[in-house]
Amino acid sequence: MNEAALLQNYLVVGGLLFGIGLLGFIVRRNLIVMFLCAEMMLQGVSVSAIAFGRYHDDWGGQMLVLFIIAVAAAEAAIALALILMLYHKSGTLDMAFWQDLREEGQPAFIDHGVPEERAEDRVWPTLTPAGVEPAVDQEEQLHRSKV
Amino acid sequence: MNVTFLPLAQTALTLSSPMIWGIGLGAAGLALRLAPQVAWRKLGLLASLIGIALIGVALPPLGDLLPQVLFWLMATLAVVASGAAVTSRSPVYAAIWFAVSLLGTAGLFLLQGAHFLGIATIVVYAGAIVVTFLFVLMLAQPEGHSPYDRISWAGFAIPIATMGVALVLGTLIGSLPEFSPVAMPEKILHEAHVARLGNELFAKHLVSVEVVGTILLVALVGAIAIVIQGNPRRKTETREGVTER
Repeated sequence: MNEAALLQNYLVVGGLLFGIGLLGFIVRRNLIVMFLCAEMMLQGVSVSAIAFGRYHDDWGGQMLVLFIIAVAAAEAAIALALILMLYHKSGTLDMAFWQDLREEGQPAFIDHGVPEERAEDRVWPTLTPAGVEPAVDQEEQLHRSKV
Repeated sequence: MNVTFLPLAQTALTLSSPMIWGIGLGAAGLALRLAPQVAWRKLGLLASLIGIALIGVALPPLGDLLPQVLFWLMATLAVVASGAAVTSRSPVYAAIWFAVSLLGTAGLFLLQGAHFLGIATIVVYAGAIVVTFLFVLMLAQPEGHSPYDRISWAGFAIPIATMGVALVLGTLIGSLPEFSPVAMPEKILHEAHVARLGNELFAKHLVSVEVVGTILLVALVGAIAIVIQGNPRRKTETREGVTER
């Protein structure tokens, strides 16, 4: 296998993952989705680190990724606890709620033209009814105590 | 090496390379995908898929057929799923797409010979972190769809952010140097891979392991402390009288 080409391919994929995560972090407003995008950026870094480790035949890349995973787990615990707290305080996951923290005299950010929820999005999935309703045995009803 | 961004971007962003076109098209597709209009979103899906195909064409071939096919599969899965995670409106779908993207990344890790990390990614990320995401979503947003998931900051936020990210990414990828060919790595691809990894981890990085363990413990304590402090104080009646807890 062509090791140099392998490294280049992996760097491109890692860069794409990082870029998509960065874009989502800037553009999305849901606190949880923003945090998820940060995790995606970490994934991009991990892909690059492992590719470099293989190219140089060194364990350093894999060690770094191992510690990234551990730190990401710790970060997820703390950040999600913080997000829950923010939700208890504000009642929304919207990042724009916290614009109250802006500097004095700055104009407020107001949403314009929020698109309506589509009708097909309002439908929630339902379970298809399956099986046959069992026939009620009248005689059994007489002597069996209702649970 | 002292390289500033602008000259690097001038040399890297050549219009003749399909890679740059692919990144541009993919970024435009993502931006359209984030738009509220349904027709734009469909157009965005098409554009980003064409962009990914262009990037794939520009990548150098790996040489062997099986790794090439596997790489294609896993890389496409990872990139497409992460794009879908960023653009999907429902945060639950975003979390599930992120899990799919993690599967692709784990496949990429396995393809590189990082067996332990591939499994660890699935177990820790998809098994623990994504499930925690879903739990928090369940607690905080039980109604599902919300208006702030359908709109970004302002009208100009999406194009500017997409252009910035595409410029930086195009410059970085376009200025990748020619890597000199090396031999097959023998240390990494040893048949006792996990044993070697553990040996390296617990011999050379022992202090780091201890530090990471401490970080996890502190995070655990910190998360509990944060959540408990948020609860309002409750008055409890005991035999001695009313006490505040």
